[in-house]
Amino acid sequence: MSANSAWPGYLASLRGTRKALLALAGWSLVEGGPALVSGRLVAMAVDDGFGAGKPWTGVAWLGVFGAVALLGAIGSRFVFARLGDVVEPVRDALVTAVVRGVLHGDLATGHRADASSVARITRHVEVVRDVTAGLLVQGRSLVVTVVAAMIGLLDTASPLAVLVLPPVVLALAAFTLLLRSLARRQRELVLSDERCGAVVGSLAGGLRDVLACGGQRSASRDVAEAVDAQAAASVRLGMAGALRGLLVSLGGLVPLVLVLAAAPRLVADGRISAGAVLGAVVYLTTGVGPALVALGQTAGTAVLRLVVTLRRLADVSLVPEPQVWQENQPAGTDILVRGLTFGWGVAAEPVVRDLDLRLPAGRHVAVVGASGIGKSTLAGLLTGLLPPAAGVVLLGGVDVGQLRPEVRRELVALIPQESYVFTGTLRENLALLATNATDAELTLAAQRVGAGELLAGPDGLDAKLGHGGVTLSSGERQLVALARVYASTAKVVVLDEATAHLDPATEAMAEQAFAERGGTLVVIAHRLSSAIRAELVLMMDGGRPVLGSHAELLTGSPGYAELMRAWTGQVSAA
Amino acid sequence: MPEREAGDIGNATALLRRVVLRTPGWLVSATLSGVLAAVAGLWLPDAMARAVDGALAGNLTGAGVPLLLGIVVTIAGADAANEIATAVLTSTGTAWLRKMVADHVANCGDQRGVRALGDPGDLVSRLTGDAAQAGGVAATAIQLVLGAITSIGAILALALLDPWLAAVFAASVPLALLLARTHMRTTSGHIATYRELAGELSARLLDAALGIRTIAATGTAEQETARVLRPLPALGRAGHGMWRTQAVMIWRAALLLPAVQLAVLVAAGLGVLDGRLTPGQLLAALGYTGMGMTLIGYLPTLTTLATARAGAGRLVDVLRIPMRQSGDQPLPVGAGELDLRDVTVLAGDGSPALSDVDLIVPAGAEVAVVGRSGAGKSTLAAVAGGLVPPDRGDVLLDGVSMRQIKPDDLRAAIGFAFERPALLGGTVAGAIGYGSDADIDAVTTAARSARVHDAVCRLPDGYRTPLAEAPLSGGEAQRLGLARAFVRAPRVLVLDDATGSLDAVTEAEVDSSVRTSLPGHTRLVVTHRLRTAEHADLVVWLDNGRVRGTGRHVRLWRNPDYRAVFTQAAE
Repeated sequence: MSANSAWPGYLASLRGTRKALLALAGWSLVEGGPALVSGRLVAMAVDDGFGAGKPWTGVAWLGVFGAVALLGAIGSRFVFARLGDVVEPVRDALVTAVVRGVLHGDLATGHRADASSVARITRHVEVVRDVTAGLLVQGRSLVVTVVAAMIGLLDTASPLAVLVLPPVVLALAAFTLLLRSLARRQRELVLSDERCGAVVGSLAGGLRDVLACGGQRSASRDVAEAVDAQAAASVRLGMAGALRGLLVSLGGLVPLVLVLAAAPRLVADGRISAGAVLGAVVYLTTGVGPALVALGQTAGTAVLRLVVTLRRLADVSLVPEPQVWQENQPAGTDILVRGLTFGWGVAAEPVVRDLDLRLPAGRHVAVVGASGIGKSTLAGLLTGLLPPAAGVVLLGGVDVGQLRPEVRRELVALIPQESYVFTGTLRENLALLATNATDAELTLAAQRVGAGELLAGPDGLDAKLGHGGVTLSSGERQLVALARVYASTAKVVVLDEATAHLDPATEAMAEQAFAERGGTLVVIAHRLSSAIRAELVLMMDGGRPVLGSHAELLTGSPGYAELMRAWTGQVSAA
Repeated sequence: MPEREAGDIGNATALLRRVVLRTPGWLVSATLSGVLAAVAGLWLPDAMARAVDGALAGNLTGAGVPLLLGIVVTIAGADAANEIATAVLTSTGTAWLRKMVADHVANCGDQRGVRALGDPGDLVSRLTGDAAQAGGVAATAIQLVLGAITSIGAILALALLDPWLAAVFAASVPLALLLARTHMRTTSGHIATYRELAGELSARLLDAALGIRTIAATGTAEQETARVLRPLPALGRAGHGMWRTQAVMIWRAALLLPAVQLAVLVAAGLGVLDGRLTPGQLLAALGYTGMGMTLIGYLPTLTTLATARAGAGRLVDVLRIPMRQSGDQPLPVGAGELDLRDVTVLAGDGSPALSDVDLIVPAGAEVAVVGRSGAGKSTLAAVAGGLVPPDRGDVLLDGVSMRQIKPDDLRAAIGFAFERPALLGGTVAGAIGYGSDADIDAVTTAARSARVHDAVCRLPDGYRTPLAEAPLSGGEAQRLGLARAFVRAPRVLVLDDATGSLDAVTEAEVDSSVRTSLPGHTRLVVTHRLRTAEHADLVVWLDNGRVRGTGRHVRLWRNPDYRAVFTQAAE
């Protein structure tokens, strides 16, 4: 796994918008105009105008101030208009990285994205967009203001600069030093917020179970713990923020006091004019001071939010490193399994242990066993979805996990219990694995697996499917998945409870269709009727799996015999 | 939890008042520090003006400087103190609301009241979002007061400097506002389009995330990424549109302060010329103008106050759910006989979910509840197990009305397991022992009885595996739910379709291990399965909320309507 960390990705996408950033910088200069000249113009208005008995000169200088302010406002307008050129490409890059990360997700960890995690990811992306825009608007204008005001100050009253610069620089340095601990606090708060939401969510979603277990006290205690931790984290962040605010606002205010303490002597010595002192105070009170306070309050928080959110997104935008694929083409589609072992964790009891298996091409095998015994895990291992802890699955002599995806796709197909149906037409959904298939081929595939009814609507293959296939029942969704694989070129098809939501007759029809289609068929059985239809049965009961025909297993495997008795009893009663 | 009468919850305002007055010490600190900072802030321009004038007059003593330094340090210190006090106020207020409301929810005893308010997500948003908004009410109110002190004080200070300045300020603000507002109303469809497209994109991502096994199996991650991202260009266009709309609004707003400042500066400059004002006071006027303008910035805070009130209102809705009347009688020793007398239970919309049910579940018997979906099977299980109180009639356990039994005794006597259990308690072991004081041995024994021990051992960290990291199948979750019911060795076991995801062999194993590990207990089993009905001592056949028939399966089987229940349930 390579940490395709969101942070470098974020910076890279910002760099990609260099032209737009340059335009922003240009308009920033215009926007910074008022901050640059405000003090100087007030100084001139007093020295040449109001203070020298020439009111109209004073008003004229103030008029210039007004014109510059207008220009500054125009600058702001263009800054905003260009904001999209920077923010939207960054958002695009982030969304792309996150979607890729989710869809390349590592199945072996057992973590899956669900509705709430998708919602959280979406929210995080929007936060990054908003904060980036906020920083570009506010943070950028803060920098522009401070720099412009400092330049203006140096130019108007250079002897005062030695008094102003050190406190401002010190405050900025302290602010930077505090950022790391602030970021940690902010992250703690975000985590405790999420924990709080999770605990509250499990109470809200599990209220029936809380009542049924008499778990009121546990539930209250769990909520109280999470809520108190959240409150403590937000107080800690508040304290750290207060310290930061204190340092930064002193950085803005102390220079003012120093200037006013030193000014009398400088004026008396004739080293600066009265207007220059006024100008310096204007720069400090309207430019530097407010900008520093804003930095302490908003911009700092925004940077922290950005960093923390990007770090959270980095976790989901992990994309596996491109694997070194096996270039050998498989010779045929015989499956050979040797010493196969897999568990869900290092300390965990393996789900599949030391399995050896030989499946010549073209066989029809059913896998049966109690729920949770590892049938789905085996399906994942056979198709190269899960990496074995030990042992190997060879397809035509090549490790199935190392086959190039495009080669594997042409040879092997897995239909899991949860069908993938996406928004689009029925045709797009059916042609997912056979992009070149004609309408006739797709229709034939659908009819063979028993999905002909789906095409019977007025729109036929052009019928629109909504998100999550909400227009379809679970059974119909499974039919779509079955027809899709039937139409593909796959020579090895694994049905992992892929017919669980179909009625027994349709299930039989679908399995029959795949059996007649040719190639190897592995059915992870939901109903035991699948075993009777198969040539071979693999019985998994926690011990060493046994492979044989139905008749062989009835005599050779007590577990299988018991399973069949229980099942036939159930069916015959009905 | 102490019982709380619905009467003393009051309305949203009363709740907010309680939040504000909960930590009076911090309230006073936050107010005092805030007022101190505001007053010092108001003093600053005046003190600065004096110092400037002193400096310009060549006064070398620098008499005003220590005062100025004092003010500056006071502002910085009081601001910091205010920030801390506000953070404490907000977080303690929020935490108090969250804990109180969560307690109420956990103890209201009747989930129907909670469900009537909305889905679980809605309750979560009340406990997180609304509680945070209501919890911040004190901070918001203080901020409003301080904002008013600063801006009104600044306008008064302007008037004290020179009444003309205040007059110019008062005249120019509405003009400037008018200028800014003319285009503020530029509404735009961009925002709606943007939201819609962003929603479309996340719906596509969710589709793909749920089909991740298919995508991984076919190696089509890149292709499907492109499919999910198809709305992206349109999203970008809508986003650009949003920024352009904002640009128009921003530029008007950016003119506001300089326009007013300029007007006041000109008036002050003329004052300097007339000798009414000193140059220092011109600076002070500029400072007070900026402070006076913050009034406009504080206006949105009024909305925050309204939001806090709305949030409090949504919490009051939850607190108004009546607490359950719980009994105080200990449960006498008994074998677990359930007696339902003329029981009616209403659904959330007031229609009967269960009507006039009279039923005796004999001690030690296994009673199957069958019926089509929606017939009221789960409601019968819930009311018979004391999970939902009957709206009419009474339910007795071993001769005592459940209304009178101590809640703890009742819960220890009845174990529930569900089709889709919500597993709580953090870890796998915690989930099995949830609500009981079972130790790890008891937990393991219960897990063995529920035939889930081996599956737990295959998890990454065995019994200590956090639930969030346990790849549990539906059948495994169901068996953990069964183990949770077994661990308390109840006299009555209510299984609400709790073995529906298990295959026949596992179900039979669970069945026999229950008989051996919990001998003689009563069982009420909601089922779709023929085998369970065949084996039961008694079958209760529900139809449309009423008991259609009771008796042995073989007798009921003669009725074609009864047989139809199972042919329908077969799929």
